[in-house]
Amino acid sequence: MKQNLQQFRYETAESLKIALFQIRSNKIRSFLTALGVIIGIVSITMMGTAINGIDMGFEKSLSMIGYDVIYVQKTSWSTMGEWWRYRNRPDLKTEYAGQINRIIADNPATELEIAVPQMSTYQAMATYKDRVLEQIFSLGTNQEYLKTASGDLAAGRFFTPGESAGSEMVCVVGDDIASGLFPNENALGKTISLKNRKFRIVGVFKKQGKFLGLFSFDNQVIMPLGAFEKVYGRKMFVTIRVKIKDETRVVEAKEELLGLMRRIRRIAPGKEENFSINEQKAFKSQLDPIKNGIAAAGIFITGMSLFVGAIGIMNITFVSVRERTREIGLRKALGAKRKTILLQFLIESVMICLLGGLVGLVTALLITFTIEKAIPDFPVQFSFTLVFASLGVSVLTGIISGLAPAVNASKLDPADSLRYE
Amino acid sequence: MEPVIISMVSLCRHYEMGDQIVKALDNINMEFRRNDYAAIMGPSGSGKSTLMNIIGCLDTPTSGIYELNGTNVAEMDDDELARVRNREIGFVFQTFNLLPRMNCLRNVELPLIYAGVAPEERHERAEQALLSVGLGDRIQHKPSELSGGQIQRVAIARALVNKPSIILADEPTGNLDTATSHDIMEMFGKLSNEGNTIILITHEEDIARFTHRIIRLRDGRIESDERQ
Ligand SMILES: Nc1ncnc2c1ncn2[C@@H]1O[C@H](COP(=O)(O)OP(=O)(O)OP(=O)(O)O)[C@@H](O)[C@H]1O
Ligand SMILES: [Mg+2]
Repeated sequence: MKQNLQQFRYETAESLKIALFQIRSNKIRSFLTALGVIIGIVSITMMGTAINGIDMGFEKSLSMIGYDVIYVQKTSWSTMGEWWRYRNRPDLKTEYAGQINRIIADNPATELEIAVPQMSTYQAMATYKDRVLEQIFSLGTNQEYLKTASGDLAAGRFFTPGESAGSEMVCVVGDDIASGLFPNENALGKTISLKNRKFRIVGVFKKQGKFLGLFSFDNQVIMPLGAFEKVYGRKMFVTIRVKIKDETRVVEAKEELLGLMRRIRRIAPGKEENFSINEQKAFKSQLDPIKNGIAAAGIFITGMSLFVGAIGIMNITFVSVRERTREIGLRKALGAKRKTILLQFLIESVMICLLGGLVGLVTALLITFTIEKAIPDFPVQFSFTLVFASLGVSVLTGIISGLAPAVNASKLDPADSLRYE
Repeated sequence: MEPVIISMVSLCRHYEMGDQIVKALDNINMEFRRNDYAAIMGPSGSGKSTLMNIIGCLDTPTSGIYELNGTNVAEMDDDELARVRNREIGFVFQTFNLLPRMNCLRNVELPLIYAGVAPEERHERAEQALLSVGLGDRIQHKPSELSGGQIQRVAIARALVNKPSIILADEPTGNLDTATSHDIMEMFGKLSNEGNTIILITHEEDIARFTHRIIRLRDGRIESDERQ
């Protein structure tokens, strides 16, 4: 037994040596053969990297809007695009926030901490002297807003309860607005115009980055609700932001908020509610089709190139077996068993695939690196699982494509092979 | 009498070439004993190499029985045959069959790899075998860097390296000068005295005279089988 194991070790070492030797003495041929595998591995890793990146970016974005905040809105996030389902719903009122706060103040067992009103438009425009920023997100709220949102101030302060109650024309702006309107100056204390109304900047947020790469928190102007209404009117989109006490009890909190809102809106039991309670989880289900699309495309490309690669390797291994018929005959004549020859050719095809896989991985890494350098916001994320997965796929491709020629080689008749020219 | 190691009964090897049958071996009945030192002679195409291949378990008879060490070779499976070829038989091929891109040492080592010999011991034994055929100074050379006679001696070294009990050599002295040929034949003689069975093919009468038995083939049949 031990003797057999040792023999197997020596034979395998010999096979590895032969395989390396073969690849080294047929460099170009080996490279061309491995090309399919290289492309396959590049596409599989790029696909995985993209999906990982999307997940990562998603997590980052979710942490931006907070796991412990739920939103009462007219429409539901999980059925975005189906606006017509909600068109008959009555608009929400910012006063609901105060009503919610009063109810939860009387309930010590509540899951909810605080409700904050918000009115917003993403069609706003800000100007300073001759500089104009369009398509910015303008948001009216009260001094409690920061309890329900992420974002640290780089300079200045948030507006005070007094400013909020007095509907004073002050605002806190995101980093893009500050740097867009004041490229070489300090934004703090400056006065900007929103629809010809003057606002004094009292605070500037630190840069936060994009949410899902679509919506930027750095593009916001936040002001007291009353001031917002003076500029944009009372008919803008209302959100009630509700912070919950324990982010592991979102379900219970949503349940409670649902009951509260039904009470506030006086919806009879059994009737469908005319508002929606949203949480970030809804985004996840929105994202799945995109991820699935990328996965499907990636798997298709990977599958095709690995298939083509496998056929190429099978072909070249058949050629190699034929070219080396005499060598096979000789090795058998000198005592190589069938399985030894089989293993030798399998090792060769696996080695080509594995080298192709490694080249593919390095290529994918370089591409990832380049993308990261060129577009810092682009979500890419390399992982070790991917490395092992693609190396595993390479080995598998090698085994599958090498098997038929290797079996062929192992079955060659020694006397015939030795006479082969 | 020494024990019988090789025995052939009504052994035939036919090749089908289209509708024509070539009887390369036709009803061979023959025995070899433990320390036989035999020469097989005969005109070209008489079936000498075919016979050698069958004795060496590289080929199987079309009909008849071939027994090696009392075992019917037809009943051995592939792995057993490989084992026999590796441990019992040392083969010097008519066309040498060295691997062109490996040096002498690696070529001679090959049977030892399949015998599961450890690398250090492999080197040592291969070197020893090359020394014994007078090629101690050509160890690192590739076949393309050797003369015909040297190649032949590497092939002989490879056949001897695993200390087989049966040595089969298809014209082992074809490319050698008289002096080297005689050296090789004397080495074979010594090996046969040590209890090995040696069968070689030759066209030269003076080489055949070194052996103890001359078998002459013609058209696949035994024409004569004489001990001397
Ligand atoms: N694979 C084969 N297919 C068909 N015929 C074959 C095959 N191998 C050998 N033969 C035929 O069998 C006969 C014997 O061949 P073999 O090689 O044994 O001759 P030989 O005695 O070794 O000749 P030489 O002295 O030239 O080496 C020849 O007629 C040859 O044509
Ligand atoms: Mg011959």
